[in-house]
Amino acid sequence: MKKKLSYSQAFAELELLVEQLEDGGIQLEDLALKIRQANGLIEICEDKLRKINKDANEAVKPETVKDKK
Amino acid sequence: MPDFIKLSALLGQINEAILTSFDGEVFWVAARIMNVKKYTGNRRCYLTLEESDNGNKQAEIKAVFWANAYQEIEKFEKITGQVFRDGIEIICRVKVRFHPVYGLNLDIVQIDVAHTVGTLELEKQQTLDRLLKENQATIQLFDGIYRTYNNRLPLPSVIENIALITAPNSDGQRDFQQEIRKNRHQYTFTIHEFLTTIQGENAHQLITEQLRLIEESELPFDVVAIVRGGGAQSDFKPFDNYELSKRIAGFRIPVFTGIGHDRNQSIADLMAREQKTPTKVAALFVDHNFEFENNLMELKTRFLNLVKDQIQTAADKLTNAKRIVKLSSPQAILNRGFAIITINGKIITNPADITAHTDLQTLLRDEIIYSTVSKKVKDEKKIIL
Repeated sequence: MKKKLSYSQAFAELELLVEQLEDGGIQLEDLALKIRQANGLIEICEDKLRKINKDANEAVKPETVKDKK
Repeated sequence: MPDFIKLSALLGQINEAILTSFDGEVFWVAARIMNVKKYTGNRRCYLTLEESDNGNKQAEIKAVFWANAYQEIEKFEKITGQVFRDGIEIICRVKVRFHPVYGLNLDIVQIDVAHTVGTLELEKQQTLDRLLKENQATIQLFDGIYRTYNNRLPLPSVIENIALITAPNSDGQRDFQQEIRKNRHQYTFTIHEFLTTIQGENAHQLITEQLRLIEESELPFDVVAIVRGGGAQSDFKPFDNYELSKRIAGFRIPVFTGIGHDRNQSIADLMAREQKTPTKVAALFVDHNFEFENNLMELKTRFLNLVKDQIQTAADKLTNAKRIVKLSSPQAILNRGFAIITINGKIITNPADITAHTDLQTLLRDEIIYSTVSKKVKDEKKIIL
C-alpha cells in the first residue's frame, strides 16, 4: 500500500505523525507502532527524493549531440 | 553659276557667331535626358537633352560628358541612388560648342544633384502619402515610423526556411549565402532562391511576381529576404515603387530587405524590416536563432535550479522530521535516562493505576527492575520538571 503513495502524500502523513509526536498526542503504548509507521514513510520519501534528484542531475548534463536548427 | 562659298567657310562663320555669343559662357538648363550612352572605358557619356510640353517636344539637342566631367555622373548615381538613365529630369550646367563635323552640342560640366534628390524625395513622399491613404488597414504612420502589417508580423521562434529574392550570380546572392553558410553556430537553414533581375525599368514587377510565387508556394517559409549588392551603380527606384511597396506591406510572411544602400532608405525598406546589406540580413537570421537557443538554455537552467531548490527544501524538511521521529522513539527515551513502568507487560501512563504493594516492572535502557511499591505520594515539589 505504501508503494502507491506519492511523495506529497507520504510526506503529509509523516508531517501529521511528527505533529502528534511534538504535541504529545500519542499514547506511550502506541508510540512504537507510530515510530515504525513514521520510519516507513521516511523511507518512501527518501527513495523518491533520491530518484527525483537523479533525474534532475541527468537533465542538466550537456547534450552529447547538438541538434542545431 | 551662282556665287558660292565652301561649306566649311559657312560653318566657320556659324562657329564665329556662336563663339561671339557663347564663348566662355555657361548656363544652367533644365531638361530630360534621353538616348544615354555611357562609355565607362574612356569615361564619356553621349546623350540628348530634351524638353516637352504636354507630350509635345519643344526642344532637343545633343550633349556630352567628357572625361573631365564624367565624375558628375558617378556622383549623381551615388547620391541619388538611381542610375543615370533615360527619362530623368535634371538641371545641369552646360557650355555651347559647335564643330564643323559634329555640329551643335552642349558640353555638360556639372549636374545639380540636389535638385534631383529633391525631386526624388518629393516623388517618394507622394508615394508614401498614397500608400497611407489607400492602405489604411495595412500601413500606418506612428511617430514618424511606418508600421505595416508585414513589419509587425511576429517572427517564428526559430528561422529555418528562407525565401531569397535576389539576382542570379550577384554580389548580394553570394554575400547572403556565404554569411548563412559560415555562421559560427553551425545552424542549418533551408534557402529557396527566387532569382530575378532587380534593377531596371521592370524590376518592381519582377520582384512582385517573385513574391506571388512565394505566396503560392506550398513550402512553409519563415521569412523572405530581398537582397542586392550595393555600389555606385545601384538603382533604388524599383524599391520606391507603389505596387511593390504595397505588396510588401500586406505580405503574410515577414520580409527583410538588404538592398545595399547606406544613404537612402527606400519605401520597400520602410514597409518591411530593413537591414541595409545582404550580409546583415543573413547575420540577423543567425542571431535570431542564437537568441532563441540562449533563451532556451536560460529557461532550462532556471527550471533546474528551481527543481533543485525544491528538492533541497524537501530534503531539509525530511531530515527534520526524521530527527523528531528518532528522538521520540521509546529507545531514545530510555537512552536519555527515562524509564517506562509496566504492570504485567502493560505500559502505565496513569499513576492512579499504581498503589502500594503493586508489583511492577521498570524498564531502563538495558535492564528491567522488578519491584513492589512500598509507598506512593504526590510529587508536590515537582522534583524533576
